[in-house]
Amino acid sequence: MFFVNLGLGQFVAIFGAISAISVVLYLLDRSRRRVVVSTLKFWVAAEQPTAVVRRKHISQPFSLFLQLLSMLLLLLAIAQLRIGSQANQTRQHVLIIETSAWMNARSSGRKTLMDSARDRARAYVNALPASDQVMLVRADSLATPATAFESNHAKVLAAITATVPGSTSLNVHQALNFARQMQANTGQYGEVVFVGSGRVSEADAAEASDMKNLRVLAVTDPIENTGLRKIGIKRSNTNPEAWDIYVSAKNYGSRSKQVTLTLTLGGLPAGSQRLDLPAGTEKEATFAYRTRAAGVLQARLTPGDAFPDDDRASIELPPLATLPVVVYSNDPELLRPFFAANPQVTAVFKPTAQYVNTDKGLVVLDRFLPPSRPTADSMWIDPPSNNSPIPIKQRVQKPEGVRWDSDNALGAGLRTRDVHIDSTSVFNTAPGDIKVAEIDAGPIIVARPGAVKTLAFGFHPALTSMRYELATPLLFANSLRWFAPDVFRSKELSTQPVGTVNVALDSGVDPAALRVVREDGTPVPFTVEGKSLHFYSGAPGVVRVVNGDHESIYSLSLPEMGDTKWKAPAGAKKGLPSFRENIQSVHDTWRIFAILGGLGLLIEWILYGRLERVMVRARNLLRWPAGLRKAS
Amino acid sequence: MDESPLLDRHFLEKLERLTIHWGKSFPGLVGGHNPSRFAGGGQEFLDHRQFHQGDDLRSVNWRAYMRLDKMFLKMFQIEPRVPVRILLDTSLSMAAGDGSKFSYARKLAASLIYVGLVRHDMISVYPFASHLKEGKKTGGGRQRFTSTMDYFQALKPGGVTDFVGMVREVITTFTQRGLIILISDFLDDAGVEKGLQYLGDFGHELFLIQLWNEEDRTPPWTGELELEDGETNQIVKLQFDDEARVRYTKAFDEHCEVVRQLAFRTGGKYAGVSTAQPIEDVIFGSLVRSRGVA
Repeated sequence: MFFVNLGLGQFVAIFGAISAISVVLYLLDRSRRRVVVSTLKFWVAAEQPTAVVRRKHISQPFSLFLQLLSMLLLLLAIAQLRIGSQANQTRQHVLIIETSAWMNARSSGRKTLMDSARDRARAYVNALPASDQVMLVRADSLATPATAFESNHAKVLAAITATVPGSTSLNVHQALNFARQMQANTGQYGEVVFVGSGRVSEADAAEASDMKNLRVLAVTDPIENTGLRKIGIKRSNTNPEAWDIYVSAKNYGSRSKQVTLTLTLGGLPAGSQRLDLPAGTEKEATFAYRTRAAGVLQARLTPGDAFPDDDRASIELPPLATLPVVVYSNDPELLRPFFAANPQVTAVFKPTAQYVNTDKGLVVLDRFLPPSRPTADSMWIDPPSNNSPIPIKQRVQKPEGVRWDSDNALGAGLRTRDVHIDSTSVFNTAPGDIKVAEIDAGPIIVARPGAVKTLAFGFHPALTSMRYELATPLLFANSLRWFAPDVFRSKELSTQPVGTVNVALDSGVDPAALRVVREDGTPVPFTVEGKSLHFYSGAPGVVRVVNGDHESIYSLSLPEMGDTKWKAPAGAKKGLPSFRENIQSVHDTWRIFAILGGLGLLIEWILYGRLERVMVRARNLLRWPAGLRKAS
Repeated sequence: MDESPLLDRHFLEKLERLTIHWGKSFPGLVGGHNPSRFAGGGQEFLDHRQFHQGDDLRSVNWRAYMRLDKMFLKMFQIEPRVPVRILLDTSLSMAAGDGSKFSYARKLAASLIYVGLVRHDMISVYPFASHLKEGKKTGGGRQRFTSTMDYFQALKPGGVTDFVGMVREVITTFTQRGLIILISDFLDDAGVEKGLQYLGDFGHELFLIQLWNEEDRTPPWTGELELEDGETNQIVKLQFDDEARVRYTKAFDEHCEVVRQLAFRTGGKYAGVSTAQPIEDVIFGSLVRSRGVA
C-alpha cells in the first residue's frame, strides 16, 4: 500500500492539519453563541434545559466523525492510494523492437516477422497502465531510440507502426545495454522488453546478459532459409579479360537443401551450379567468365524461400579499360612486343612522317623530334639532343653503374645493375622531375609529372642488352601504369551483407593513402588496425576502398544475417504482462474515495447542516395556522 | 441604520389609488370620505323622521306634507373627517437582530400616511415604547409628505415596551375616537392583551399590524445559546435544538393568534406581516385583504 501523489509523512501531516482545522471549526460552530433577541418569552416557552457551564461532551459527535471521515476519504483520493507493492507505481519501460533484415521474412501467408513483432509490441503498450512511460528503441546492428520516454502511448503506437526492417543483423546486447543506460539515467525502473526473433551473430549469442527486469516477447520464426552470403569477383590472374567469380551460399535452416545457383550478366546466362547444402553449412561455388564488356552480374538461388532478400544479389561489373597508344617509329618492330603483350593497351604504330600532335592517350616518339610537341602524354625514347622535352646535358658512351629508383612506382621492381648500354643521353632535370634511372653523370630516365606527363629515355631499351632482361617489360609496364593508373588499377569486387566490412591490407600500407568513398564520392569513416581496414555501412550501397593501384569495390546489397538464435536469460519474463488489470483497478480507487468523501459531506450537510434548518422552516410554515395565514 | 429614502416615487404613485378604511362610525368634521351612520349636513339622503319643533324647516319634505298632511324631515348622511392615528412601536425589540423590523415599520407607517394625505384624512403618527413619544400630525395633501419623510428618517428606536402604560396615555390624550393603526411586534413581557382591550373598549377602531422577522418566528441557531433580551438585556443560557425550535415556533404562532383574536374581538382588523415580504406585496396584499386599505 502506498501513495502516488504524497508520501506517508506528507499524508499524515496534511490529514492532521485538516483534522485540526475541522475540529476547531466544529467546536467554534458548536460553541455557545450569544444572540440578541426581541424577547425571551418564547424561548422560555420552548422549555429548553439551561446549558451547563462547562461542556463535558461533544455535541453531535457523529457530525464531527462524518466530517473527519469525509476529509480522510477525499485526501486519500487526492493522494491516490494504491493497494499493492511500490513496484506498481508509474514506471519507465524500454521497448526494444528488432528491425534486423531477418524481420522481413514471411512467417505465414503474407505476414512478415516484422508484422508479428509490431502486433506484439502494440499489445504490450496497450497492456500498460496509462501512467507508465515507454521508450521505443529500434534495434538492428545499432540501437536507435525512436521515441523518448512517452506517457502518450499513442505516439509510441505510431512509432511502432512506422517501424520497418533494416538491412543489418541484430546486436541484442548493444540494445540491452542501451536500454539499461536509458533507465539508469531516469532512475525510474520499469521493464526492458525485447520484441523480435532474436537471430544474432555467434559472438553476440555467446555474450552473457544478466538483466533482471527483462521481458521477452518472442516472435516465432520456424522458417527454413537458404541465402547468399557473399559474391567475390576479380580479374583472372592469367587472363585480364576474364573474371573469376566466387559465390558462397548458406543454409540457415534445420534441414538440408538442394539449390541451384544461377549467374546472369546483363540478362544472359553466365553460369549455373547445383549446390547441396546440409543444415547450417556454407558452400562456395566458383565461376569464370570472360568479357571485356560492362554489365550487371546477378546471382540467384532457386527455389526461393520465405526470405527472398538474400536469394539474389547483383553487382555491376566494370568494362576492361584500355589505354590507346600511338607509336611513331620508323622501326616499330623494336617496340611492338612491349605494347602488344598487354591486352589493356591498344597500340597503333605509325611512321614518323605521319605525325600529328592531336593524338589521344599516350604518344610514343622513337628517336624522333616532332615539329610540334604532342598535346597528350608522351614517352620519348632517346630523343635528339636539340629541343628535347627534357634538356640533354651530355651524351655518355658505355655508361656503367645504372641505378634505379625503386622507391618510385616507375622504378618498382627494377634491380638490374649490370645493364650494358652503348651510349645514353644524360638529362638536366628540373625540380619535380623523377629520376627513374641514373648514372654517375646524371639521370638517364626522367619522368616529368603534370597535367601532361612526359617520360624520357636517354637510350633505346630495345637496342641494348636490356632487351633480353626482365627489367625492360617491367619498366614499360611501370611506365604505362604511371601514365594511366586508372586503367591498370587492379579491381576486386564483392557483394556482401550490409554492416561492418573488414578489408585485409598489404603490409606497409600508408593509412593516409587509403581512400574509402561511396559511389557519389562522399567519404566513409574507417579505421585501420594492423593489416585490417574496418568501415561500417548501415544501408545498402557501393563503397570503394582505394589503396594505391588496387581498388576494392564492395556492393553492400545482401542483408546481414545472424547465424544463431539468441537465448534469453533464464530469469527473463516471457509473454504479455498481466499487471495492467491490477494497476487499473487500483487506479479507480481514487474515484471511489472521492465519491465516498463527497457523499459523506453531503450526508453531514443534510443531517446537520443548512438543509436541516431550511426543512425546519418549511415545516413550520406548513404548520402555520390556516386562519392566521389567511388573515396575514 | 439605512439612510436611503424610505419610499421611492414610483411606489408612492401606486399608493395614490388606495384609501384608508374603517368600519365604525365616528363623529367628526364634515368633509371626509368615509360615510357615517350619523345624520347631518351631508349630500347623500339618509332617511325621513317625524318633524319636531325646533327642526330646521329647510329640511322638511314639503312634497310629502302636501300629499300626506304630515311633516317629515329629510335626514342626510354626513361624511366626517375621522382622526387616523398611527401608533408606531419604536422599542428596542423592534431593532433587535438586524433591525429590519424597525426599518420595515417606518416604511409601512410612511406608506399609510401618504395614503391618508392623498385622501385629505386627518392623520398623525406617534412613536411609542413604554409611553408615547412626540408625534407628528399631518394633513392637507400629498405636498405635506416631505416633512413626514424627514420625521421618519430622524426616528430612532429606544425604550422598553409597555403596552398598558402606552394605552393609558393614548386614552387620556386622545379623547376623540378614531382609527388607531398600531404597528408593532406586540412583544411585551407583561402582555399586550390588556392594553389592547382597553383601547378597543374606549371606542377606537383598531387596525393591528403585527411585524416579525424570520429570526423571531424560526430561530436559525442550534446548540448552546446565550440569549440576550434586546430590551431588558436579561440573559438566558440554554440548549436549543430542532425540537425546541418547533416548540418555539408554536408558542410564537399562538401569540400571533391571541393578537389576531383580540383585534377581531374589538371589531378591528389584523394583519400579520413578515419582514421577508416586500412592502408593496404587503400593502396591496395583506392590508387590502384585511380591509385596512382599499
